[in-house]
Amino acid sequence: MAGITDKSEHAVKLKHVYYGQGCTNVLKDVSLAIPHGQWVCIAGRNGAGKSTLIRLLNGLLLMSRGRILIDGLELNGRTLGDIRRHIGMVFANPDDQFVGLTVEDDIAFGLENLCLSREEMQQRIRTYAERLDIVHLLQRHPATLSGGQKQRAAIAAVLAMEPSIIVMDEAASMLDEKAKNEMLGLMRAMHAEGRYTLISITHDVEEMAEADRMIVLDGGMVAADGSPKELLLQDDLLRRCRLKAPFALQLCRELKARGIDIGELVREKEVLEALWSYHSKRFLTATGTGG
Amino acid sequence: MVISFEEVSYRYRDRGMSPVLGLDGLNLELEEGRMIAVLGAPGSGKSTLLQHMNGLIRADDGLIRILDFRLASGDGKKIPAGLRQRVGLVFQNPEQQLFEETVEKDLLFGPLNFGRSPAEAAEAVRRAASFVGLDEELLGQSPFKLSSGQMRKAAVAAVLAADPDILALDEPTASLDPASREDLMQRLHGLTRMQGKTVLVVTHRLEEIVAFADEFVVIKDGKVLFQGTAGELVHRQEVLEQGGLMAPSSVRMAGMLAAQLGLEPAEMLPDAAALAEWYAELLGS
Repeated sequence: MAGITDKSEHAVKLKHVYYGQGCTNVLKDVSLAIPHGQWVCIAGRNGAGKSTLIRLLNGLLLMSRGRILIDGLELNGRTLGDIRRHIGMVFANPDDQFVGLTVEDDIAFGLENLCLSREEMQQRIRTYAERLDIVHLLQRHPATLSGGQKQRAAIAAVLAMEPSIIVMDEAASMLDEKAKNEMLGLMRAMHAEGRYTLISITHDVEEMAEADRMIVLDGGMVAADGSPKELLLQDDLLRRCRLKAPFALQLCRELKARGIDIGELVREKEVLEALWSYHSKRFLTATGTGG
Repeated sequence: MVISFEEVSYRYRDRGMSPVLGLDGLNLELEEGRMIAVLGAPGSGKSTLLQHMNGLIRADDGLIRILDFRLASGDGKKIPAGLRQRVGLVFQNPEQQLFEETVEKDLLFGPLNFGRSPAEAAEAVRRAASFVGLDEELLGQSPFKLSSGQMRKAAVAAVLAADPDILALDEPTASLDPASREDLMQRLHGLTRMQGKTVLVVTHRLEEIVAFADEFVVIKDGKVLFQGTAGELVHRQEVLEQGGLMAPSSVRMAGMLAAQLGLEPAEMLPDAAALAEWYAELLGS
């Protein structure tokens, strides 16, 4: 349950964490703290250590050195079971996480492990199937769903376990563009609800622009940590993590080069609004009706 | 015509009780030396189409001609000699095609298997690795130790090392970072221009390929829903909708800006500069 055992202000805390395979360190001295309810995106080039980092959080991989605290609980052999109940993981390929013969079985599978009553289980299946708009798919075999439907079913199964921290590893990367857009809408809604801490690995700059915070990994270390609105403006940083500037920002810069200066914005919605007010002001000035 | 599909149908029989339609009387003709984007929603049949290219899947009905090979539905399962050397396929899940102890051995497998000398094969591997931007230091590692993006590059390099005339790639950019994605698209485009190869790329992201492919094919329910240029495709809202595709950012923004100003959106190149130019001219006039 969200926040019940928690006295800590941080959902996730890493202190000097290392992870190494052989003689090479995949993660080197990573320290960071993520407050409850924050939407954090993790960016970085291929091989930067992003997936390794999130797999340490629930013990899918074991760190070589350092400390990890989840909702104030120290991660170790004794707490691992508890901690896994706090964290829901969503991966790129939903096929990797289906176990049931129907979507409903699949959601129930996770709940059975929580030792819930039958009524409570059915209640949760209903609630989360409605939220993810998959009620009509509950009796279907997961293999017969489209990519977007599969990912929604996988997320319903994760949310039904009521974790407080949702970790997504390129959860939209295998979806078509329409389904990807819907997924972003879902993340927005989950964030607005305030009960989830969202940690999302992504290469999508449009998604990054929506997050509260952006953590950039490079060579297994934190290369930058801050507001996406500011970090996405830094060309050298983008180059280092092999990202392209968001389209909105490219457009702002091209407009500025043509004498239309609306500042540097990273979200398309903001550019549209800025251009609207730029246009209105200009119109008012031109017609002498404004001040 | 380098590739032609005539009334090709294929049903999957191993997926439950009733056969699932993969391709449904599909017709398609493609010219040599071009880069072709094959788009469509998941389950549309675009991967099935690709797997027919080198005989991995044999059609139930219809006729496929590729280069000077002919694959008819009645021919049985025999693969014409040389087909797989000249048509290289990169699968959606790279871990399914890598199998050797080291990345280097994986990359050497193709050229050696197709009869190159060890020295030629080594040279082909070096070129292919550098072409996809795979660090040489990774060549000695196990392919399964690589990150998902590095594994993807290794899989593309393994097919390229065998120097096929036609290169067909299934979602080659999934899990690549955006710069690697654009880089790969640029390089694949280069293969068509510098070496005259034909490159087919299956993808569900129009945005990343819109500036590179010469021709766009949208598949839906095992049939060709659309074949044409980027300029034609981005304005066909109903095709985009059915293909699970979104118009590129520039086209969407142009549409919203035009709507905001009460104008008809103009046709333009899909990039930020073209959109800014259009808007500046609009304000200037």
